[in-house]
Amino acid sequence: MALIFIRTAVIFLTLLVCMRLMGKSQIGEMQPFEFVITLLIAELACIPMADSSIPLMYGIVSVVTIFILHQAVWLLDMWFRPMKRVICGKPSLVITKDGVDMSQLKKNNLDVSDLIESMRAAGYFNLDDVYYGLYEANGSFSALPREKMCGSLPVLIIDDGRPDRENMRIAGISEEKLKNFLSGENTKLKQVAVMTVDGNGRVYFQPKGKRYSIRSIETEGKW
Amino acid sequence: MVKSIIYTLTAIALCATLFVFTEYYLSSQFGIVYDAASALYDKIEGGEATAADAEALRMLWEDKKSKLHIFIPHNDIAQIDLYLAQADGHIREGDMGLALAKTEVIKRLAQSLPCSYSVKLENVF
Repeated sequence: MALIFIRTAVIFLTLLVCMRLMGKSQIGEMQPFEFVITLLIAELACIPMADSSIPLMYGIVSVVTIFILHQAVWLLDMWFRPMKRVICGKPSLVITKDGVDMSQLKKNNLDVSDLIESMRAAGYFNLDDVYYGLYEANGSFSALPREKMCGSLPVLIIDDGRPDRENMRIAGISEEKLKNFLSGENTKLKQVAVMTVDGNGRVYFQPKGKRYSIRSIETEGKW
Repeated sequence: MVKSIIYTLTAIALCATLFVFTEYYLSSQFGIVYDAASALYDKIEGGEATAADAEALRMLWEDKKSKLHIFIPHNDIAQIDLYLAQADGHIREGDMGLALAKTEVIKRLAQSLPCSYSVKLENVF
């Protein structure tokens, strides 16, 4: 029985470390250790229940082990603050006053399109609709909105140096036009972190490692 | 908060008690089975084993296994059941060589099974 306890604890810790390393893209509305518990507990309860060759006691001991580990993690959170950061992670500020923080996005295994998706789910359609945007430790997105938001839906044209040709077609931006725009900004394609264009031709433009700026471009899009 | 800590400590205490009890119980029960199998082995070797001796070991095992089912996978118990039935059959037919081999397997299983559930690195991983 002690063996089952140790094996369950080993799997719990392995899953917890993996979930923390996977970043916030794998977690939705749950703390990493809660997510691990959700993953484990159903299987632990079901396998001895369905497989009559395994004593039910194995399932009971595993589930009690999960309970003890959950309580241990919770108590560590309460009494030893730095452990909370290690176990649950910390919020990641992905939009600052300078624009999108690509390093924070990469740290959480996310890209700009994931960020834009999270923003849309939160009710913000433009990257500069918010002063600050952050992913909480549980993976949910929070933002401090600007007073004045844009009324047109933007599309992602360049994501971390890679052009999105489908969105360029939708926005009516040709390769030539994009090239001219970038040369006007003295930037190469690979040096662009984010570029979005909305229906009014309003461009959110952020070179890598620099502050974002709002520009305009002539569009022939139909959206 | 206090309630949670009490629940956690109670769960830990219950688990620790169960672990110690299981460790002790498995080794003692399999020890009894090992001793009985050894006695049968000696009788077979001496040519004195009868069907009643094999039946006695089988009855002893039946009594033990009903409780052992709570603690170890049922497939392991079925393994001893199989070898015990084979040894019993060989004794009844007077084939003492094969009966000796099967009883030896029962002895080894009674020795090795409790070890496979004890806390050892090779068992954890």
